[in-house]
Amino acid sequence: MDKKLKETILNPILKGNPITVLILGICSSLAVTVQLKGALVMALSVIIVTGLSSLVCSLLRNSIPNRVRIIVQLVVVAMMVILVDQILKAGEGTYAIDKQLSVYIGLIITNCIVMGRIEAFALGNKPIPSLLDGLANGVGYGMILIIVAFFRELLGSGTLFGLRVLPAGYIPNNLVILPPFALILLGCIIWAHRAFDKDLQEK
Amino acid sequence: MNTNSNAYTVIYTTLVVVVVAAVLAFTAMKLKPAQSANAKAETLRQMMSAAQVKPTDELYATKNADILQLYADNIDRAFTVGLDGAENGTLSTEKARIELVDNLKPQNKAIKAGGEVTLPVYIFKSGITVVPVYGAGLWGPVWGYIAFQPDGKTIAGAYFDHESETPGLGAKIKDEAWFRESLIGETPDFSSENVFEIVKGGAPKDAEGHSLIDNQIDAITGATMTSKGLDAAIDTWLGAYAKYFGEGSCCEGEGEHDCENCEHHKAEEE
Repeated sequence: MDKKLKETILNPILKGNPITVLILGICSSLAVTVQLKGALVMALSVIIVTGLSSLVCSLLRNSIPNRVRIIVQLVVVAMMVILVDQILKAGEGTYAIDKQLSVYIGLIITNCIVMGRIEAFALGNKPIPSLLDGLANGVGYGMILIIVAFFRELLGSGTLFGLRVLPAGYIPNNLVILPPFALILLGCIIWAHRAFDKDLQEK
Repeated sequence: MNTNSNAYTVIYTTLVVVVVAAVLAFTAMKLKPAQSANAKAETLRQMMSAAQVKPTDELYATKNADILQLYADNIDRAFTVGLDGAENGTLSTEKARIELVDNLKPQNKAIKAGGEVTLPVYIFKSGITVVPVYGAGLWGPVWGYIAFQPDGKTIAGAYFDHESETPGLGAKIKDEAWFRESLIGETPDFSSENVFEIVKGGAPKDAEGHSLIDNQIDAITGATMTSKGLDAAIDTWLGAYAKYFGEGSCCEGEGEHDCENCEHHKAEEE
């Protein structure tokens, strides 16, 4: 694999992680991380939306009139999000999760990561790298979502994927279930990330 | 080609929107049957949870097809009633064509306007009767199913759901089992304006924590508006069923001896 492509894939997951470095998509990462199952579905949805939207916008990049490019991007992203939502609603196993995620699936449209990657990358690059860039950014986002959800479900309910892990005597910590704790946890992850990767620290 | 000319821009955006609309319309049409099957199974789960057919967790772990079968096996009959308490329609309970009144919004409007209504009543083989309630929460609709014991007075169970109440606060009407279980054993007062009350600050209780007033339960902390909305929904809907439960039910079950005094029964005989 050539170096540039490798960079495209690895950068959003590590050095340019959308949540911990760019601080994008914070809203949904606080809202849907109470349980791992919901976080996993949300992560997969975002990966699909960012990947496919970047691919489509990259295919259209030479024909989009510059003055209305944001509107065209928005239409493409909105279409992808509605498709994902409709498919989740139709699946027997995913219907309940879609109901649980409620508005947050629809709100992927407003997730800055999606529009941000189209504007910054897909409009200036070929379809395949754009697809990979979109997918990788989705993965970078989803990864953090799952780490946060892991701790919140473990400490907040004593379960993982709905299965009891901690002994029955464990008293669930209610603070962990509330959104502010996700912000604290996110802060800790950013701290760990920056301590680990010296390049991220300001001189 | 000049991609910045007005004509190009207009034609291009029109094309994009038409294509996207076509794709979405096509998927919506294709997925509609699967989605409605999910929605129907969901409604049945909620009703059967209220009717105590099986524990809620077990119902949610059951596949759609088995839920339909479970309902068909347990339901005795289903029909609709008007505000006068008289039956004005039937609902099929056969597995292949189960009929439900699951769009409660138009009925809610009709109750408030005092017009013609077809309110569903589901009677299970256990003798438990399930009726829906519907109203406005804080952010969107809230609804639920309340099950009555065969005496038509005591609540046997309940299940509440919502479209977009705040997670962790208003959403507790669905998520917290204690809330729906607190209705069990209560007896709504059909003769009053406040058929049932969800009391902010806690319903009066004795030293052991038993509710002192039969038609009051605790509201949810931090969810005043949702609690109020649900309270209003229950008042409106149980109020609409008052004639059905208040006068019709004395002729059912073991209370046969009361029948001579029952207005509803007399009216039917004449």
